[in-house]
Amino acid sequence: MVNKVKDILKGKIIKWEEKSSKRHYIEIDKKDLRSAAELLFRKLELRFCIATGLDNVKNMEVLYHFSDDKTGVVYSLRVFTDRDKGQIPSIADIIKGATWIEREMRELLGIEFTGAADTSRLLLDPTWPEGVYPLRKDYEYGRKEPRGEDSCRRPNIKIEELTKNGKKTKIIPIGPYHPLQEEPEFFELMVQGEKVIDLNINLGYNHRGIEKIAEGKHWDQVTFLVERICGICSCSHPYAYVNAVEDLLGLEIPLRAKYVRTVIAELERVHSHLLWLGLAGHFLGYNTVWMWAWKYRETVLDLCEQISGNRNHYAMMRIGGVRKDIFNSEIDAMKEKTASLVPIFDLFKGAVIDDPVIHARTKNIGVLSKEEAINYCVTGPTARPSGLDQDIRKIDILNGAYQLVEWDVIVCQNGDIFDKTVCRVLEMYESVKIITQCLDKLKGLKEGNIWEEVREIPPGEGIGRYEAPRGEVWHYVRSDGGNTPVRHKIRAPSYMNVLSNELAAVGGDVSDAAITLAAVDPCYCCTERMQAVENGNVKYNWEELLRLSEEKTKRLRGELR
Amino acid sequence: MNKLKILSKSIWVFHFASAACNNCDIEILDVLTPRFDVERFGVKLVGSIKHADAMLVSGMMNRKGAEFLKDLYDQAPKPLAVIAFGSCASSMGMFKVSYNRVIPVDEIIPVTAYIPGCPPRPEAIIDGVVKVVKKLRGEI
Repeated sequence: MVNKVKDILKGKIIKWEEKSSKRHYIEIDKKDLRSAAELLFRKLELRFCIATGLDNVKNMEVLYHFSDDKTGVVYSLRVFTDRDKGQIPSIADIIKGATWIEREMRELLGIEFTGAADTSRLLLDPTWPEGVYPLRKDYEYGRKEPRGEDSCRRPNIKIEELTKNGKKTKIIPIGPYHPLQEEPEFFELMVQGEKVIDLNINLGYNHRGIEKIAEGKHWDQVTFLVERICGICSCSHPYAYVNAVEDLLGLEIPLRAKYVRTVIAELERVHSHLLWLGLAGHFLGYNTVWMWAWKYRETVLDLCEQISGNRNHYAMMRIGGVRKDIFNSEIDAMKEKTASLVPIFDLFKGAVIDDPVIHARTKNIGVLSKEEAINYCVTGPTARPSGLDQDIRKIDILNGAYQLVEWDVIVCQNGDIFDKTVCRVLEMYESVKIITQCLDKLKGLKEGNIWEEVREIPPGEGIGRYEAPRGEVWHYVRSDGGNTPVRHKIRAPSYMNVLSNELAAVGGDVSDAAITLAAVDPCYCCTERMQAVENGNVKYNWEELLRLSEEKTKRLRGELR
Repeated sequence: MNKLKILSKSIWVFHFASAACNNCDIEILDVLTPRFDVERFGVKLVGSIKHADAMLVSGMMNRKGAEFLKDLYDQAPKPLAVIAFGSCASSMGMFKVSYNRVIPVDEIIPVTAYIPGCPPRPEAIIDGVVKVVKKLRGEI
């Protein structure tokens, strides 16, 4: 593949830098960017991960990261532009998944993307002063901008009568709050009668500026910071971050630490999937599923507490290893507890696969086809049900035990909500398989020796990835040899997945919208405050929408009888 | 008669999550599910602030969210117990240097109780609720 990339980019390459066999940095001229991106994305079918913008003070730098999902190699296209009024051609029309990141770089770094269709703000509020770019180096750490009146108001909150194709159209807003950094969601569903005809996604209600905060924290402190990006992926983000730093250092961690990391990360996956399953049940009107799933989730949280001392926010990762060891004397009890989860998965599997009502509610609803999944660059359990065989755990985790144990990647074909549910249920079995094998192997190893001493981080750059329960987590760090990262770019999986709702929800019913929007597994707190505004009057609030969804389930249940 | 006392039975709670990391919010839902089950005391999450006796605020206040918090507080029927939930809402935590911050929750609206922790454990949440009840009854 490396040679293929070299061939296809012939004549465009200014400098080819091979950091390691899995990380290639390719410097090209910005006028060649569009053609290079198209060749890599369309011809070689590499997946676009994210773009990273950097302020080098003398100029601006943008890295476009492409991933080969068969081998785990990352190719990064590096382009430079001027610091003042720098311009880079937009690639959002070639790669749909680049839309948001271009808008983000425009407002946070002040890089202009020529030819971009949408140049509105993505994260910052409308009263943020023009020409102030928080991620630039001249923006002081800890500085705060004065806030104008009505900074949170959506400019179009008063909805006028809309007509589209001669039919009356209403807007149902869903949101605005969402609890994950860089992926808070505010959906505006445009509906004609019961049909959703368009979807608009607003972000920024949860923007906390973690990338900037990371630039002022010590390398060791950043693990705790990135843990607080998301409470449910609170192991995946630190995992990806330490992977990035270890990639920069070229470090391999002790074997025991690899197993411990894998155990805690897989426990997190089980609890996250159980959580999703419960909430999906709640949205479909099966509150029993919610209560049961969350009841059994407590078992997993107990295990996490036993290992790390905390139910959430485990604080297990450190650069060069893990902070806490698993006691060999406790392993048997842990294995027993893990094994007790399997009958519960059987129960849920039976409840999902055999229930005709769930079939009727989820089959062929919210379909994301394979081509669209590729174009939107979705990851994880949003991509795998659409037939994409990609899992970072299989290909690109050096410092984990995934290559040392037996497990399978779950791939389904239809891309509808049913497949997304089945995919997650089956993944939980695989996780239990991984945990059991890791615990077995840990028992054969001596306790202790769980970290490599790391004293200094040399200048350089590193990319770390991890397969979070929701998809690929991406961290990029750059060091200048100092105590803090110079740049820390984070991309959470929902950043890519949420955009695909644009397709999945459109054409469905309003009563299916709740489960369709939930199927990519964003976090849910926002949805509790969803209100429908019709000409300024509340039409459906979240409870109403839930009722609609529950009624549909009841009706279907009656019909099926 | 102490007007607040009428609130101390079956507290209905409205949950406002500004820029939180989701962990507080999940732990709030967690205390409603079978193991901790605060619904047996009549504690219930409601969808509208107009039905609520108490408001749980979690997360750091960012520029887009703060205005909403103030609006919601104004819309709520008084008396209303406001609980700052978790480290971020209590003190802004590690986000006190963020460029997108505004001011802490207790400077926007009056706060009745703080439940610290990152995230608070379910036991701490229940303890916090008990303290709020006691305060409403005028016992502390």
